[in-house]
Amino acid sequence: MDAALPLNGPDPSESSRPRGKGRPRTVETAAPSLVELLNLVRTGAANTRQELERQSEFGRAVVADRLTMLSDLGLVDESELGTATGGRAPRLVRFAARRAAILVATLDQTAIGVGVADLSGKLLTEHHEAADLTAPPAELAERLAALFRWSMERHAPQGSIWGISLSVPGAVQGATEADFLTATPPVLPAWEGFPLVETLTRDFGVPVWMRSSVETMTMGELHAGAGIGTRSLLFLKVGRRIGAGIVCDGQLYRGAHGAAGLIGSLPVTSGGRSGPLDALAGSDMIQREGLAAAQDGRSPMLAEIQRRGGEITAIEVSQAAQIGDPASVAILTDSGHLIGQVVATLANALNPELIVLSGSIVQTNDILLAALREAVYGASHPFVTRDLRIIRSQMGSSAGLVGAARVASEQLFAPAFLKEWVIQGSPIAHPAFAALHDRLSQAAAPPPPPRARIGQELMT
Amino acid sequence: MTISGLGPHGERAAPPERVSLLPDDRAAAKAAGWRVAVVLHTLESDWAKQQLAGMMGIFGDCGAAVIDAVDCAFSPDMQVAELDRLISQRPDAIISLPVANEQVAAAHRRVSEAGIKLILLDNAPTGLLPGKDYTALVSSDNFGLGKIAAAGLSPHIPDGAKVGVLGFAADFFATNEREIAFTKWLQLNRPDITQRVLRFARIEDAAAAADDLLSANPDMAGLFIVWDTPALAAATRLTESGAAMPMATVDLGEAAAIALAQGDSFCCIAAQQPFLQGIAAAQTVILCLLGRPVPAWIALPGIGVTRDNVVESFQAIWRQPAPREVLRMLGLSRGK
Repeated sequence: MDAALPLNGPDPSESSRPRGKGRPRTVETAAPSLVELLNLVRTGAANTRQELERQSEFGRAVVADRLTMLSDLGLVDESELGTATGGRAPRLVRFAARRAAILVATLDQTAIGVGVADLSGKLLTEHHEAADLTAPPAELAERLAALFRWSMERHAPQGSIWGISLSVPGAVQGATEADFLTATPPVLPAWEGFPLVETLTRDFGVPVWMRSSVETMTMGELHAGAGIGTRSLLFLKVGRRIGAGIVCDGQLYRGAHGAAGLIGSLPVTSGGRSGPLDALAGSDMIQREGLAAAQDGRSPMLAEIQRRGGEITAIEVSQAAQIGDPASVAILTDSGHLIGQVVATLANALNPELIVLSGSIVQTNDILLAALREAVYGASHPFVTRDLRIIRSQMGSSAGLVGAARVASEQLFAPAFLKEWVIQGSPIAHPAFAALHDRLSQAAAPPPPPRARIGQELMT
Repeated sequence: MTISGLGPHGERAAPPERVSLLPDDRAAAKAAGWRVAVVLHTLESDWAKQQLAGMMGIFGDCGAAVIDAVDCAFSPDMQVAELDRLISQRPDAIISLPVANEQVAAAHRRVSEAGIKLILLDNAPTGLLPGKDYTALVSSDNFGLGKIAAAGLSPHIPDGAKVGVLGFAADFFATNEREIAFTKWLQLNRPDITQRVLRFARIEDAAAAADDLLSANPDMAGLFIVWDTPALAAATRLTESGAAMPMATVDLGEAAAIALAQGDSFCCIAAQQPFLQGIAAAQTVILCLLGRPVPAWIALPGIGVTRDNVVESFQAIWRQPAPREVLRMLGLSRGK
């Protein structure tokens, strides 16, 4: 998206009308105050008219007028009474988080998750299913759209969706703050050339945001998981790739290009071999070493899985380690030690109060966590580890969905973005988005994927 | 048998063997003398009775007293009130099947906040996290059950035909998973089939919903309903209207087994293992009270049941002889 258009830019509906001399339109004067008041209410900084007057420094009449406008637009609700502190009970001003919904999804190497969130980023429902990210992108996009539609039938009627936010397994180039996407950024080689963002924007008629899964999961953990209330947090996702999410002063640190925390490419040495952390400690290594242990007799448990025709992935090795298979324990311990060495460096640099580990390998066993703790405690300054907690995430893949919802929520109501649509009462009316949607709707649709002819309709 | 679904937070399933009890565990539990309460959506269904039977045996072996088994009559309000009442009784653990999503989430959170171990069955309200707001979820592989039902119904549906899906309107993990998996399996494996979905809010509405679906789609050639009690009501209504058609559902209750053996409507039932699930839930309670780590999601595989294997499946699932009517319909018993 281009930088937000100036608020007093030409309005096609009014361009032919003569303007009163020296008298600005209500739109021009109201928008900045609407934005400020709505965000004070939305963030919980103020929840009565008196508090809004005090914090915004707007006069009583302006606050009353703007609240009426926000109420008419369905963005705030004043139906609830607060506690009286002498005199009449004040009317509470609440953000109407259910005014619309946000569709969220996590695309992982082996799973896809979808959810519906309210405008505050609170998840209302979620579903996860196995998926293969190396499958043709058209199939994946079709499944994603089918699950979005299913979720909308249950939780968000047509027309009440204000955005889609995706969590993807890689750094997202070009996803700078406050921008919705106008084209699909390069994320995975297998998706190259497939217009995922354009398709979703056109079909659902809403802006699309995209962030790396490490970023969304870090935000999810910070706002709805173990990180609630923490100011400095280090989040680690262990999968095929190993990435870190960094929270400083209560804010996600994204770096210059949204690529902060790509620790998987750092060189490490293990057993005489050197290579990037991803290759020597990630799930590919765990799977490969597990297969070798099954074949050379070191792991009867994994050999038994193979003998019964089962596939050995990093998950099977993790589960075998949890129930005491010595070869699998050794593999997970090596991985934990290597990751721990890198994390110790980060911990010494950042001094976090909490380190949270996530990813299906971490969820299925305690060994990797124990080995990582050992390495971090062993290699850190005593001040760094004095109150440091290193824990496993309880959120699983929900962290990515919650974090994706927070991304969309924060971007929708970012002042520069909000002031462009608040008067119309819906971000779909944002001029830059409306222009994008028109352009995409006029462009030819891509050829349907092989199974696009399937008919599944909802009776209403 | 493998588990094909993922947990409510995308978790990988742990098999019920992960919560096996050792003799030492039983002895330690007996010495502790715990008090446990059970809160179910209903106590009337065969599924619920089997689930309770499985739990009671384990709690009996472990010297744990079940101080209450509550029937919530599918009512979120009643469940909230009952959970609050039970919290005041200070049991050591509560096994609960959350009957809704958002409406009952806070009440379940209050159980954990009161220091009572909470084991969920079949459904985890959105926002509640394992290890924090509850200890573990024990359920069937509901995604797998939906796939089994689709694969079982598919051979009875002609090319290019229309299939109806009667889902449950409540936002409920188990029935959501079954519906999603059923429709996905047909989309992938029978792209010629058109699916029509309608959802009922209460069991009593299921027959009328089947009527509505049929009125709007007179050419409907098959029907899937997400569990057996409403499915039986819908089957009766469709048969009365002279529109009996191949049907599939989930849960091998006694009446469903008889209907399957009869062979008029049901051609496939994806069966849960409620007795074994009850055992797994009770074992999970004992292990977490002993302070042992338990997996976030323990899942039991489903069983595909047709007329051909209904007797042995019933015996395996119920741990009881198949109903006499089933045996008679299949020519295995000639007595009255």
